[in-house]
This record gives sequence, C-alpha cells and structure tokens, in this order.
Amino acid sequence: MAASRKPIRWHIAVFLAPAVLVYTTVMILPLFGTLQLSLFRNTPDGQVFAGLENFRTLLGDPRWSANFWNALWNNTWFFIIHMLVQNPIGILLAALLSNPRLRLRGFYRTAIFVPTILSFVIVGFVWKLILSPLWGIAPDMLDLVGLKSLFEPWLGKEEYALTTLALISVWQFVGIPMMLIYAALLSIPDEIIEAAECDGVTGIAQFWKIKLPLILPSIGIISVLTFVGNFNAFDLIYSAQGAMAGPNFSTDILGTFLYRTFFGFQLQIGDPYMGSAIASMMFLIILAGVCLYLFGIQTRLRRYQF
Amino acid sequence: MSRATSSLSRSIAAHAILILYTVIALFPVIVIIINSFKERRAIFRTPLALPDSETFSLIGYRTVLDQGNFLLYFQNSLIVTVVSLALVLIFGAMAAFALAEYRFRGNTLMGLYLALGIMIPIRLGTVAILELMVASGLVNTRTALILVYTAQGLPLAVFILAEFMRQVSDDLKNAGRMDGLSEYRIFFRLVLPLVRPAMATVAVFTMIPIWNDLWFPLILAPAEQTKTVTLGAQIFLGQFVTNWNAVLSALSLAIIPVLVLYLIFSRQLIRGITAGAVK
Amino acid sequence: MGSLKLENIRKSFGKVEVLKGIDLEVEDGEFVIFVGPSGCGKSTLLRVIAGLEDATEGQVLIDGVEVSAVPPAKRGIAMVFQSYALYPHLNVRDNMGLGLKQAGSPRAEIRQRVDTASKMLGLDDYLTRRPAELSGGQRQRVAIGRAIVRNPKLFLFDEPLSNLDAALRVNTRLEIAKLHRDLKATMIYVTHDQVEAMTLADRIVILNQGRVEQIGSPMELYNHPGNLFVAGFIGSPRMNFIEAGRLGESGKGTIGIRPEHITIDPSSGEWQGKVLHVEHLGADTILYLESEKAGLLTVRLFGEHKFAPDDILHATPRREHMFRFDEAGKART
Repeated sequence: MAASRKPIRWHIAVFLAPAVLVYTTVMILPLFGTLQLSLFRNTPDGQVFAGLENFRTLLGDPRWSANFWNALWNNTWFFIIHMLVQNPIGILLAALLSNPRLRLRGFYRTAIFVPTILSFVIVGFVWKLILSPLWGIAPDMLDLVGLKSLFEPWLGKEEYALTTLALISVWQFVGIPMMLIYAALLSIPDEIIEAAECDGVTGIAQFWKIKLPLILPSIGIISVLTFVGNFNAFDLIYSAQGAMAGPNFSTDILGTFLYRTFFGFQLQIGDPYMGSAIASMMFLIILAGVCLYLFGIQTRLRRYQF
Repeated sequence: MSRATSSLSRSIAAHAILILYTVIALFPVIVIIINSFKERRAIFRTPLALPDSETFSLIGYRTVLDQGNFLLYFQNSLIVTVVSLALVLIFGAMAAFALAEYRFRGNTLMGLYLALGIMIPIRLGTVAILELMVASGLVNTRTALILVYTAQGLPLAVFILAEFMRQVSDDLKNAGRMDGLSEYRIFFRLVLPLVRPAMATVAVFTMIPIWNDLWFPLILAPAEQTKTVTLGAQIFLGQFVTNWNAVLSALSLAIIPVLVLYLIFSRQLIRGITAGAVK
Repeated sequence: MGSLKLENIRKSFGKVEVLKGIDLEVEDGEFVIFVGPSGCGKSTLLRVIAGLEDATEGQVLIDGVEVSAVPPAKRGIAMVFQSYALYPHLNVRDNMGLGLKQAGSPRAEIRQRVDTASKMLGLDDYLTRRPAELSGGQRQRVAIGRAIVRNPKLFLFDEPLSNLDAALRVNTRLEIAKLHRDLKATMIYVTHDQVEAMTLADRIVILNQGRVEQIGSPMELYNHPGNLFVAGFIGSPRMNFIEAGRLGESGKGTIGIRPEHITIDPSSGEWQGKVLHVEHLGADTILYLESEKAGLLTVRLFGEHKFAPDDILHATPRREHMFRFDEAGKART
C-alpha cells in the first residue's frame, strides 16, 4: 500500500510558506490575540481573566457607553454619507466617462483620481486650511456665487463637523468607485449596447435599463469596500481634528475612540484591555456587515458572463 | 456610435459635469501649491492669484527644510514602501501560484484563509501587534512596519494574482515539465513573466495605502529616526499650525512627489484598475 | 415594404478607407447576402445600413427615405448580432419585448407579438429563462425572435451562424431560409462563408477591399464570374487557374477551370500528371495532380476512386466550362 503513495510535493509547501507565515504571525494571530485580550483585565496582581466584563463596561457603564454609542452612530452617519454621495457621484462620473466618443476622457479620469492618491494627512490639512475662516478662501468662493451668508466654520461647529469630514472623505475617494464602475461599464460588450440602440433604448433609459443591472455586482462590491473602509477609518479625523475628535467629540468614530482608549489621552491612561474590547466590537461589526453582504446580497446579485 | 446615435446637447452636458468635478477635485490642491510660493500677506490678501515677482517667496520652504527632517522621513518611507512591496509581490505570487496550480487537500480552505484579510482590516489587531513588536524588540524599527505592511498587502495580492495565474496556459507549463524544468523554474521562468501586468496592478494597490498610512507609524515607529513622511508631515503641521508659509510649503512638499509619480504612472495605474476590461 | 438603396457609400476610419463607394439596390422581399474575405468591409456596410456607424459619404435610403440622420431604432430595421447580444439580465420574453416596450406599444400587443414569434421559433417553453440558461442554438433563436417581434422593414444579420457548431449551423440555415419564405421580409445577411451565401441568397454581393466585385444570383456568379476574384471565391474546392500562355493560347491572361469540370483517364487525355495526394470524401474524391503542362490541378470526381499518390493520370478539361480572363483579371466575353 505504501508503495503506491505519491511522494510529498514539498514545493507546494515552499510556495505557500512565506506568505502564510507572515500573514499568520503578523495579522491573524494578533487579531485573535486582540479578541482574547478583550476578555482580560489588569489588576494589581497582573492580568486576570475577566470574561465579558470589559464589554459590560463598554456597553453598560454610562461613561463608556455614551462614548461608544456616539462613535458608532457617528461612524454610521459617516458611512451613510459615503453611500449617498460618494457612490452615486462615482457612478455618474463613470457613466459619463465610459462614452467612447467623449473627448478628453483620459484627462478627466486622471484629474478626478488625483485626490485618491494623496494621504489623509494632506487631505485633512488642505481642507482645514481651505475651510478656515482665517484664510477666507471658502467664504470668498461662496461670495462668487452670492452665497457668502451661508458660510460657517463648518469644521468647528458640532452640528456640521462630521458631515463636512465625511464629504471631504468623499472628495478624496470618489475616484475608487468611479474607476471600478468605469471598468465594469467597459466590460459590457459593444454589441449589447448596439442591440439596445437598435431597440431604441438610448441615453438615460439605456443606463437604467441595460447598464445599471449589469454593473450591480460591482456596486455591491464597492458598497462593502466602502463599509469596511469607513468602519476602519481613523486617519482623516485624526489629522483634521486630532485624537479628541472635536468639537466636543462630535466627529468621534470607532477608530479614534479605539486610539484614545488604547493610548490614553489627557488624564486618562491607556488601557489595552478596553482598547481590545473596542477593536473586538469593530471586528464584530465589520464581520456582520461583510457576512450580510456575502450571504444576503451577493447571492442575489447575478454576475453575467459576457 | 454615430451621428444617428449621439446628440450634441448630451455631450455638452457631459463635459459640463466632468469639468465641474475636475475643478472640485483639483482646486484645493492647486490653491495650496500656488500659495506655498507666496509671502504671508499675499496668501491672505489674494489667495487665488498666482505668485508674481512682488509676492513670490520661498520662506515657507526654507522653514520646512531647516526645521523638519524631511529627507530622512522620505528615505524611511521609501525603504518601508519598497521593501514591503517587494515582499508582498514575491510571497504573494508564490502563494497564488500554489493555490492556482496545484490540487491538494485544503486548497480551497487555504484560499479562504488568505482571503479573510481582504475584508478584515489588520488595524483591529493593533493592540496585540504592538505587544508582539515590544516582545520581539522591533518597536521603532522599520522592520516592524515592513512586517505589518507585508501582512496587510498579502491577501489582496494572493487573490488577484491567483485569478491571473489560472489563466496561464496549462500547455505551456506542461511543455516546461516535458522539458524537465523543476516546479520552481516553471514558476520563476514561465509563469512570473506572464503575469507581470497583474503584478503592476497589485503593486499600485499595495503601494498607495502603505505610503499614506498614518496609523502604524504613529503606533509602532514614532521615533525621530524611523518616522515616515506621512507621520513627519502630520507632526510638523501640528507644531507649525500658525505658520502659514511653513504649513503650505510642507503640504506642497508632500503632494508634489506623489503627484509627479502619479502623472508618470497614471496610465499604468488606470490600466491596472480597469484590467480585464480590454479597451 | 422594405426596399433599400445605397448610393456611393464611403467610410473611412482615420486614413484607412474601408468602403470605397458602394452602390446597391435591394428590392422588397429580397434576401441579399454580403460575402467576402475578412476585412472586406461587409460588416461595416451592414452597420452603416443599421445606423450604428456613419457613412463618411453617400446616402442610405430605406423605402426611398434618406435615413443618414435617423437613429437605428427609427429606421425600421432589426439586427441579429454575431454574438447574439442578448441582454443578460432579462429573460427571453423581456429580451424580445424590450424594443416594443421602449417604443410604448400596448402590453397586450407586445405579449401577442412575442408569443407569435416564440411559437414560430419553438421558444415557447423557454420564455422565462435568462440567456445564460439557454444553449447556443436557443440563444441564436432568441436573437432572431427579438428581430421578428419588431416587425422590421429590413432584417440585418451579422454573421449569425459563426458561433454555432457545424450541425446546428445547417439546421439554423434551413430555419432562416424558411423564415424568409414565411415572412417575405427583406433580409440582408453578412457572412464570410460562401456556402451560406450560395444556399440562402436571392442575390449575392461579393465585396473585396471595400468595393463590390460582382452582384448576382448564386448561379450567375457560379456560371459567369465577372473576374478572377469572384471566380476564385465562389465554388469549393477553388477554381484552377492556369496561365493562358502555358496552354498555347494567344495573348496574356488566365484560364480558369473548376475542379468538377475536369475528367480523368488513366491512359489518355490532354494534360498528363502525377497524383500528389488524394482526399476520399465518400461522395466525392479530390485529386491533387501535378501536371507538366497546366501546373498543379485540383480535380473533383464523383463517387469513390482507387487512385493513389504517384499514379500517372491524364486530365482533360471540359472546354465548354472553361473561363477566360484578361490580364487585368476581368472575364473575357
């Protein structure tokens, strides 16, 4: 029996080993390490198992839970703005760009993608300066269209700051849905579009009836990428508003909340256990969103082989 | 498309929308860059004007170069990005080849395991990553960043490259085997050169987030010696927040290299993103 | 009604001129096939007629009306594409009905027309399926059904059989022929396959390098090719061409003789030659003969023959079937 066994194919292991090793050590184990850490607590005697105590604190202790729900709601709003503004604009731009007869399409494509390559730090500061009442660029611009009276120091007002930041993030990332939808639109065969022309389905009707149904899977993927990116966001808020996510925590999202908790701020010292608990909550939220997409939405979106 | 299928008014509307959005996309960047070359008063008095002989000033750039350690930061960013990128590409390609080429028990499971990281961000493990780096003495080293970014980039790289490697002709690989090539040679000599376009796509996707990341440099390597450009700019901007010349110049210095690189490689980048749609 | 008139159609893509002045009249109810080698401009011409492409010059008249500025949907045409171009997200019924729906036809009428067309094509059982759930032949029929439903003046087919396997191709060919008889509609059909052209067409338009080489019924083209190109293009195996000088005829030019118009005899005949290769097709036998006088000859014999390579044979052309072409390649009359 042993004689007929195939030799072990060592090369498969060699090909897989480096990637699996690095990925497991630096990504997967710490991820589970963090989940595990959230079940412990620091006492004068050292680290002790605390069960779900940290989560009870996070959701039950009024000081913690107020912060947590605030961050979660802000994060949700941040995501809603992206879905309502970023993705429709991205789809609109892609639809316009995908017209093969359009002149200058290469220029538009390149220009609109520029903000996407910049780092959050730059983007955060650039907009902070532009919207600053000190400099006055934004009020001057509004003055040009006669709307100067509408100007407010948006980033400094509790009621506007988060929406403003979300729109800045939209400004930065609209290039990504634009490109992915653009690619999806280009992959629709010419003959199908021509058949639609022959059937009299042209212009906007053609977009709604033919193209949109065919790019729905791409829109699904973009939505879930947006979700993961938004619930994992940190840099933009941190650069524009600092770790305190001011004014008065009105721009606090899960990422900044995690950072403050883990590293401490002002008088509160950092707490890796509570930090882990927050990271675990983020993990669960993202996991839930991704699962909802994979099992609830993706299976219903048909992919078409052309 | 033809005269009979397109209309002038529609095309004008399309251009109007695209021009409007292009202005929105570029305006902030351009305002920052032109004002970085002006003296302080002109920045406030005529922010939308180009610098002229009267208002031209490099004082901001001088402050940045005197005060900041940007050359060092730039070097750190470059090393971290290039090394991580190289590791992601080579390890990712090897793993992708194993998954795409061989049938073995656990193949699908391994694929799913590696794909997990596409959806779950590595940041959520930060607490334990910091513990790991502290334990292994890697805090405040570029190695720590390189390891993290390699792990972060691998899932997407494996996923995309495996897709492409499945398209490489079996006949070619079998011809190689008939000629007595080892599996390693088949990978390096036959398959890798054929998936070069896919590697370029992966490179772009991997590179941008690494270069722009603030989170891990802030947490794992905040020391002066290992600061990356992104973190350096963040701290510099925080300190000089009232010195407008310096802030604008620092921002421009951070924008311009990336912008130039982007303009050089934008065609490859866009081709990479739209790969698969042949046009 | 559905007549078509093309007047001096020219089309350039940049500097490349693809159509170099095409004139054509198609009468109501005719089945006209554009045939030619790849790159001859036949598909471009069809797309110009459909309105998917602008002619650089010239006029397209459908039923006597100039349509150059009319969008495809308003020209009264329907097109069947090479890849079928079915809408992947719509089921068979909606695929067929979309054009009418867009034009605002009443629901009952759409329903009735789709039902009629699907009955005609045997698609009744598949109306709720999506294209991905159909076989190649069924998709092809849906594409044809989509055209029928629109009740067009002009049917345009762009190589509709090229994605089907050989057996299905013959079947579908018969169906298209039957469809033409039943609908009595004007059809314009593009193919590179001369067998399709010969079997389906009322008239064939032979295109080469953007020009019309000859227009005529299949038998006219077979029996009276106007030039060397047409003579070589129609008929399989290809006509034998022999330099006139080799056969001792006066003047320069070419002699053409079809493989089926040569007789073979082991002992005597005009051209002696050695057999290079024999193809036994059952009904036919194709001989490749290297003759001293006429060069390499292809000969088609009916039935089975026991010739083998290296046999010495004598070939004799049937004089009444010889074609003579002048130096420029035009047929001498």
